[in-house]
Amino acid sequence: MRRSLLAATAAAAVLAAGAAQADEIRIGVLYPIAGTGAVYGEPAMHGHNMAVDELNAAGGILGKKIVSFARDTKLKPAAASAAAKELITKDGVDVLVGGLSSAVGLAISEVARQEGVVYVATIPKTIKLTTEKRHDHVFRTASHTDFEGDAMAQIVAQLGLKKICDIQLDYAYGHDLAAGIEKGLKRHAPDAEKVLDLRVKLGATDYNAFISQIMGAGCDGVTSGLWGSHFVNFAQQGSPFGLFQQIKYISGGEIASHEIAGKMKGDYPDNVWSNTYELWYHHHDPSHVAFQEALAARSGTGETAMWPVLAYIGVKFIAAAAEKAGSMDADALSGALKGMSISTPVGQRTIDPETHQADTGQFWGPMVRKEGADYRVMDPVTYIPAVIEE
Amino acid sequence: MTRPVLAACAAVFLLLALVPLLESNYLIDLFNEIMIYALFALSLNVIIGYSGNVSFGHAAYFAIGGYTMAILLTTYEWSLLPAFAAAVAFSFAASAVVAYFCTRLTDIYFAMLTLAFSMLVWGVAFKWRSMTGGDDGFVGVDVPAFIAERVPFYYFSLVVIGAAVAVLWVICHSAFGRALLAVRENPIRAGFVGINTRLMRWWAFVVAGTFAGIAGSLFAMVHRGMYTESAFWPESATVLIMTLLGGMYSFFGPAIGAASLFLLERLTNEYTEYWPLVLGTILLAILMFLPEGLAGLAQAIRRQILRGR
Repeated sequence: MRRSLLAATAAAAVLAAGAAQADEIRIGVLYPIAGTGAVYGEPAMHGHNMAVDELNAAGGILGKKIVSFARDTKLKPAAASAAAKELITKDGVDVLVGGLSSAVGLAISEVARQEGVVYVATIPKTIKLTTEKRHDHVFRTASHTDFEGDAMAQIVAQLGLKKICDIQLDYAYGHDLAAGIEKGLKRHAPDAEKVLDLRVKLGATDYNAFISQIMGAGCDGVTSGLWGSHFVNFAQQGSPFGLFQQIKYISGGEIASHEIAGKMKGDYPDNVWSNTYELWYHHHDPSHVAFQEALAARSGTGETAMWPVLAYIGVKFIAAAAEKAGSMDADALSGALKGMSISTPVGQRTIDPETHQADTGQFWGPMVRKEGADYRVMDPVTYIPAVIEE
Repeated sequence: MTRPVLAACAAVFLLLALVPLLESNYLIDLFNEIMIYALFALSLNVIIGYSGNVSFGHAAYFAIGGYTMAILLTTYEWSLLPAFAAAVAFSFAASAVVAYFCTRLTDIYFAMLTLAFSMLVWGVAFKWRSMTGGDDGFVGVDVPAFIAERVPFYYFSLVVIGAAVAVLWVICHSAFGRALLAVRENPIRAGFVGINTRLMRWWAFVVAGTFAGIAGSLFAMVHRGMYTESAFWPESATVLIMTLLGGMYSFFGPAIGAASLFLLERLTNEYTEYWPLVLGTILLAILMFLPEGLAGLAQAIRRQILRGR
């Protein structure tokens, strides 16, 4: 009974793995497609497919058609690690792209290191990915927690806040962002004092205990990296208590994106300063107009999401590097990505050959009500470049 | 050991030894993980099938073995043998302490206490970031160079698991195993016959925990990482379902259950994100139609065929 089962699966798997491969480029894509992370994962998938379709329409990469193999990471490092390994060993992908959540990014990067496959991290922000955990095959096109924390500290200084409560998710991103903010505060607002440190479990839905702690701590500013549905729940539970009237809320985690502002509409609280990689209503780079129109046509709505651009840029980097290297070989690809510079819908992006980190800055600003808009928009929009001035 | 069983075991072992010849990294990883889960499920069955108690917290010892191995190999740079011995010793010690408390209770109280202890282990893994990596997991385990490659590690894993299963078989079929069955069937009568039922149940728990620790230590090496999910209660539920699916009244049943459930999860993952729905349906089907699991089903079919002859 057991023997026949083993034999049958072995045969099936061998057949599956032996499918056609030589004349196509295989990209392994890892985003969360269900659950808490889907708010960001689904639009990211959209941008990924848009880039792949554009490239295929223009003849693919190195004259070969691009085929994507997508797997759900479930927002968990263990699942992401297993999925990444399977993409490499079973589907035979040439390169890995994606990752959402810093812990997931680190887990995928470890698989890439073991298997010797290039991984382009499009969303994970933990600084460790390009510092202590960097290896020859990992590259990041997203921003990172030191840039983000520094920008948040600049806003703290502008607003003249003195007492800061920090609330972060209890995993790599939250811990590293807290460290980034701390370093930033020393540079930009040395007299601001942190009075409260809170840690929330990833995926948490009940924030009442944290809200009362913040309100009792007497801080005038809150720094945070609660992203996606974490922020939505936090804001909905905090607003009735007047939390956002009492403090200024400075947040990383891209809660200024259309995904969050457009979803929350009237529930979006006052006094929020946040960031985003892209805004459908703000044309920082001339090429953004065409990109946004194409995305709008694809999404069926003029008000387009922010995450597509990240996944889009990741694929474009891979394509440019492959053309430059003339092959999909991991070492050649890695060599080409070092110092690679491409123009994107949000401006020129260059990967540092030493750190493997792209100079990805973000748009920052207050989220305000505006005449004619049925949800909050960022105004004024300020681009804070990926530079840390000591 | 009866001759057909021995022959079947040897055949399975040989077939598993041939897997690397297929030259598919995917299959090597797949079979490696199946073997690890098979050992995990077999170890749980010592508590469930042999001593007649249901543990909802078996993942704790798997995680203790895994984290010990990961941390000692990587953070403290121990070599393989001492690290492995420590992983076994830690899971032995942890299950010995927990068993001391749990075996004072039976039935639902026993089950709840095992769950409580496993959540404690999860809590430590989650909060002790400097040591375990917390929610990010312990990523990047340094596997010793001589088994760092896929194929040598596969054979290492095969030998360790083969030996562990053989030892488990001997334990379960010794006088100790028979005494456990007596305790399971009728603890009062067993007590009157002169069996120290609590001590027997304590030993069953410790054996189960220790072998789960061995499975966990291999898991940490094959994944080059250890994650808090491995200690969380759904993991305990998964291995429980594996055991039930395979059949708790048969020694090898849980291994079959582990292989089936693991393969099913891998296959459904490729088509749908609704794995929990599939899992729930399977559990429902076992409870209603297959109380003795796949092993029981196989036996019923065999009886049917023999009768038909």
